[in-house]
Amino acid sequence: MRGKHQKRLFSIRVLWTVLITAMSLTVIVPMLVMILGSFKNPAEAQQFSLALPTEWHFDNYTHVIENGGIARAFINSTIITVAVTGLVLLFGCMCAFIVSRRTNRYTKGVYLLFLMGMISPIQIITTFGLLRILNLMGTFFGVIMIITALQMPWTIFVLTGFIKTVPRELDEAAIIDGAKPLTVFFKIIWPLLRPILATAMVSTAMGAWNEFMVPLYFFNTSSRWTMPLTVYNFFGQYASNWNYVFADLMLTALPIAILYLLCQKYVVSGMTAGAVKG
Amino acid sequence: MGRNAKRFYPHYFTYPAILIFSVFFVVPILAGFILSFTDWNINRLFEPVFVGLANFEHLLGDEYFMLALKNTFLFGVITTVLIVAFGLALALALKKLVFGKSFFRTLYYLPAVLSLIVVGIMFTSVFRMNNGILNKLLIAIGLENLAIDWLGNPATALYSVMAVHIWKWSGFAMAIFLAGLHGIPEEYYEAARIDGAGLLSQFKNITFPLLAPAFTVVVTLNTIGGLKVFEQIYVMTGGGPGNTTQVLGTYIYKGFSMGMLGRSTAMGLILFFIVSIIAVVLNWFLRRREVSE
Repeated sequence: MRGKHQKRLFSIRVLWTVLITAMSLTVIVPMLVMILGSFKNPAEAQQFSLALPTEWHFDNYTHVIENGGIARAFINSTIITVAVTGLVLLFGCMCAFIVSRRTNRYTKGVYLLFLMGMISPIQIITTFGLLRILNLMGTFFGVIMIITALQMPWTIFVLTGFIKTVPRELDEAAIIDGAKPLTVFFKIIWPLLRPILATAMVSTAMGAWNEFMVPLYFFNTSSRWTMPLTVYNFFGQYASNWNYVFADLMLTALPIAILYLLCQKYVVSGMTAGAVKG
Repeated sequence: MGRNAKRFYPHYFTYPAILIFSVFFVVPILAGFILSFTDWNINRLFEPVFVGLANFEHLLGDEYFMLALKNTFLFGVITTVLIVAFGLALALALKKLVFGKSFFRTLYYLPAVLSLIVVGIMFTSVFRMNNGILNKLLIAIGLENLAIDWLGNPATALYSVMAVHIWKWSGFAMAIFLAGLHGIPEEYYEAARIDGAGLLSQFKNITFPLLAPAFTVVVTLNTIGGLKVFEQIYVMTGGGPGNTTQVLGTYIYKGFSMGMLGRSTAMGLILFFIVSIIAVVLNWFLRRREVSE
């Protein structure tokens, strides 16, 4: 009886393993076509096959960097990503600190406000109107502020949940020693939050880097374009040169893929912890 | 501590976040409630004139808007159902794996971090009529009849984009379900086995009910995400062929690029209500299930 049960369990495991491996091909194959294609000549890339390139064209990448406006876009994306991440982390954390430490009508209201922000879609056309009125249309500042507003709710949720698990006694000890609120926050709380701040940082940075709709609506000059916008435009121009398109896609995806592989622990654990708690 | 709370946890710490969020997110939503009822357009940017319900009446009579509305719902429902199914299957399978667990988890989650634009363009190559890897595969296994122009055919274009959306987000659902599964004590299963419960009954009586919180999160987040879809459609079909894949997100952009700001704002307001109402009702309904079980 027991042997039969074990045997059945074993065969189920084998079945799952086969299923998992087979399904992973749907993830791997499209990426492999892109990766291999980015090193091929135009005719071979056009075949979209899994064959290795007959000759490895690393010059596809240099061509794209020189002709695709990548350098400029890379700097633009970096400026936006760094600014958004900094603002979201600092202000989001300060806000989450108060919301998790004090329970009154005000903090409950703040929590609800950001909950609404997690659900509601952006009202993009009136946002356009707002930027025109504030004379921020086409500026980095305007785009940074909008992406910051979009990224703020999730960060506040995750941080609020986490700060609740940090014992209050720690701040109280510092308060008794006569420390000021900002000192308590930066000297006591901030260092304790390092792991969750890493999570918030990585996911905010990814969100900001990958953001497409906001720069699409609000940047009309190509000198301000970000990586996703540039790659989209490049795709329109070079639709028949898939080797260049693939190289361009690779350059856009690589920074994020590397960040993901390096900080995987923070990405997955944080996303899921935040999601399950929130 | 009451006085200390006020002094050491001051409300002003929340002001910068609230200021940015209110000005750049909440104010436009509120403005939408007013500007939806005007003839606001790009040529008279600062002189919108009140027109009552004209924008909404126009939209109700616009067959492409109605189609976009229908497509938005289809997209939200179908992708959510399949993402939940794939995510759950992957999580259950991954939990049972003896080795390679973290490798597969890393791999399956990877699409979730990639830019929608990168994923969209990559799949444009996959779905190509000639030489696309999907059609090559279909031909190789003898299904030449199915080797069609996936994105150029009105009957398949929307579903092809849905497939990409499902491809991108199933790994994310998997990760949330896995976190949920790891929270279920192994003893429950042992006890069930001793009682002679089969695998199916274990799933029905232990896994499924205890996974309810993860289920709530996956369903709610994906429904919201599916209804808000924009980038994938914009990149892969541009709403075509012949407006057949328009969703609210892309139709708003179309109205915007034609300068009809008031009408697009009205569509934004409709999207706001659809997403908010569905998300709140769904969340309320699913959470009730969590408590009762």
